Amino acid sequence: MADLSFPLITAAVGLPLIAAAVAFSNDSRARLAGIIGAAGATLCSAKILLEVNAAPGLRLAEPWAFGLFTADSLNATFLLLYSLLTLGIVILAPRRDTSARITGATLLVLAATLSAYGADNLIVLGAAWVLSAVPFIVGPFTGTWRPRAGLAASCLALVAAIGIIAQSAQTAGDLEPFSLSSLQGHNYGGSAAFALLLIAIVFRKGIFPAHAWIEDAAEAGPVLPVCLFINGHLGGFLLARVVIPDFPLVSLGAFPILSDLALLTALYAAIRAVAETRARRILALLVLSQSACILAGLESATQEGITGALVHIIVVSVATTGLFSVLRLMEVRFGRTFTADHYLGLGEYTPRLAVFFVVCGLALVGLPGTLGFCSEDLLIHGTLSSHPQIGLLLPVATAMNAVSLFRLFSKLFLGKPRGSIQGITDALPRERWVLASIVVFIVAAGLMPSQIVTLRTNAAQAISRLW
Amino acid sequence: MTISQMLLLAVVGAPGAVFALFSLLWLLGWTPPERLLTRVTSVVYLLATAAVGWLAWSLHASGQTAIAVSLGDWFVVHEYTFPLALLADHLSLPFLALTVILVGLIGHFSATYLHRDPGFERFYILLHLFAFGALVIFSAGSFDLVIVGWEMVGITSVLLISFFKTRQGPVQGALHVFVVYRACDIGIITAAYLMHHFAHTSSFVDGMPHLTSGDATIVGLFLLLSAAGKSAQVPFSGWLPNAMEGPTPSSAIFYGAISIHAGAYLLLRSQSILLESTTASVAVIIIGTLTAIHGTFVGRTCADAKTSLAYAALAQLGVVFVEIGLGLTWLPVLHILGHAMVRTLQFLRAPSMLHDYHQVHAAAGGHLGKTGQHYDSYLPEPVRIWLYRMAMDRGHLDTILENGFIQPLLQLSKGLARLDRIGLSSDKTTVDKPPNLPVVLRAEEGVSNG
Repeated sequence: MADLSFPLITAAVGLPLIAAAVAFSNDSRARLAGIIGAAGATLCSAKILLEVNAAPGLRLAEPWAFGLFTADSLNATFLLLYSLLTLGIVILAPRRDTSARITGATLLVLAATLSAYGADNLIVLGAAWVLSAVPFIVGPFTGTWRPRAGLAASCLALVAAIGIIAQSAQTAGDLEPFSLSSLQGHNYGGSAAFALLLIAIVFRKGIFPAHAWIEDAAEAGPVLPVCLFINGHLGGFLLARVVIPDFPLVSLGAFPILSDLALLTALYAAIRAVAETRARRILALLVLSQSACILAGLESATQEGITGALVHIIVVSVATTGLFSVLRLMEVRFGRTFTADHYLGLGEYTPRLAVFFVVCGLALVGLPGTLGFCSEDLLIHGTLSSHPQIGLLLPVATAMNAVSLFRLFSKLFLGKPRGSIQGITDALPRERWVLASIVVFIVAAGLMPSQIVTLRTNAAQAISRLW
Repeated sequence: MTISQMLLLAVVGAPGAVFALFSLLWLLGWTPPERLLTRVTSVVYLLATAAVGWLAWSLHASGQTAIAVSLGDWFVVHEYTFPLALLADHLSLPFLALTVILVGLIGHFSATYLHRDPGFERFYILLHLFAFGALVIFSAGSFDLVIVGWEMVGITSVLLISFFKTRQGPVQGALHVFVVYRACDIGIITAAYLMHHFAHTSSFVDGMPHLTSGDATIVGLFLLLSAAGKSAQVPFSGWLPNAMEGPTPSSAIFYGAISIHAGAYLLLRSQSILLESTTASVAVIIIGTLTAIHGTFVGRTCADAKTSLAYAALAQLGVVFVEIGLGLTWLPVLHILGHAMVRTLQFLRAPSMLHDYHQVHAAAGGHLGKTGQHYDSYLPEPVRIWLYRMAMDRGHLDTILENGFIQPLLQLSKGLARLDRIGLSSDKTTVDKPPNLPVVLRAEEGVSNG
């Protein structure tokens, strides 16, 4: 195992933590602290990605004794992506969403999620998983009981699974019972640990029947932090990092069931969104539906399917961040949450926000010319041999999602504006540059996807080698 | 790369580049002036027309069957590749020529027609995107790449139907069209997927993928689904009158010429697959026949010029489908080219037709004579009344789709929503309502401030 040139993962985790402490203590500087913390994490993550790319196939450890974090082709992209998304959201968030509590908690979630990505230790992974959920269970982002219950269940299941795995490893005489690197192929914990890990994933990702909490969280919670939390995709990451390495053969046997559950979730959420009228819920259902496809791709056990899933994570994260951001900016401008009951004609006041919304939406449902097309193409073709039903039903779910999204776009932005509204501005410069960056990334990566696909193929190879 | 290959690449890529440039500049805050847009459009399509002419001449002079351009693989993962290959052969060249000529003409016409319209820039930007999508469809070397253009044409079509975005009719019409398009696009996506499954390729640069009769039936029927949706064939014809809500130039190019014929092109391209399967061929003939009859009857009860023209186009397209199903090749191509040209002219003339008609009346000194009796007058009166009612309701197609598909889906969706509410005391969750806001819309219907 080679070393990183500097404890970059520790720095990427530590900077947002320090910034969170500053933000909690100083309300007027909270946004600035957030930008500095997230930008620092972004720079560190970018450097990690460069070093990982320079050493393909290797897992890089940090040059210090504890060995809690490692970086490889799987987590390096996640680290950068999540840092960038957080940075974007902190920059464009409306002023009322950048209070000390909200910004501090957002940075805490960032630090915890980066820790989970970088963890090479089961205890660190478990602690980071729980810490990232804390603001949504007992902190400032709490909503109705279902999100709290869903997240608490996922945390309990993971902690129990880690306990069983560690005990099993110790019994087997493993010298490093908590090390993720030493898990590979040992089946530590047996079926009990495997089942608990799957429960944790199902709850965290919102796989049917444990999906409803995500709708509730988006509807009743602060929408931007919820969007960031969902886009951590820690459920999928746990599958790739722990479940497949520890239980390669068991997982192959169990994957058809989980895969069918994921497909059911994709269809279920797509059908649910068709008649839903509340804008936030529609977007949450679309995220659920598209995210479920990620799990289906990871379980295909083919390089194409796994690569498609890993690219789709990027698409879903970036596109839904754009969608939720535009929705939140519109809510703040017009002083309301929206329903898709009537044509509101808001595009007359905010034409650029309307374009940002429609491009992000179309990317999410795989419009050619965006990265979404590439990821869906890979997902469909990758599941050709292992799960043909996915190839046949995924386009159906995606078509329904596209209809729901276009319906929401029409209702919000098209039609005759009601009443005369003065003083409504289109995208402000800080909002415009962040959203334009998202759109440019989605389109540029869609036109020239080979770089990103190659990057994710390396990670997919590493995963598929485990079988 | 030869000159012909570079020209083919330039013809397809130029509209896409113009679209990308103008739309990015607009997003960053710059609005291009009308004159610049129209001149760029004229120059691009004049050059493109000349280039397609060169391609046709060079193909004829060299005696080759096709000009193929391989741009390598778009992306590669393990054994799966997405090849980017363009193909200009005797089938695609007429369609490429039709596209660049008509888009250039529509661009020129619209400079006056939409002068000072608030959506002038939007129209031109979308026109370039549409041209790019159409050219990709007609020059694609694989069904995977056809999907790329197919989807672009679809989304542009929808955005141009809702061009008059403050009116409810166009916006509702756009949503209706989008639903049908997306539902039918499943056909071509699944067909391409199945081609990979059965033949391990969807490329047709070196000939169509070889399929057995059974496989060809499945693939052919899925392709027919998409073609029928795009070309508004029965039972999907209901979206066509809604599509007439867009500006006249876009109606002309989409529903008189290019977009509506894309379905026929798809079937022509995959004709060898269709001919492998009697079931698929017969299905194409049946759908074409039904559409021709449907278009004829419904078109005669339409009260407005554009819808009437649209149904007339539909009737002709039905005949084109029958020709394709019968295994003819050149007749449908000639039929499409002639029909697209005539119908575009008719659409563009539609706004001034009434004015001219009144002038002819005035010149003739009164009303003109009747045009003669129709054959339907030989039918018994109850049959005529029944047919009239059916034609007025457009063959009840919308009602059938609504009752048979949309309503059950909505009911299922609402049922699942009730399932999701289990465990909640009330469905009205608390929303983080921002304090002290300039709530300008609060009194409206549909507000949910939590």
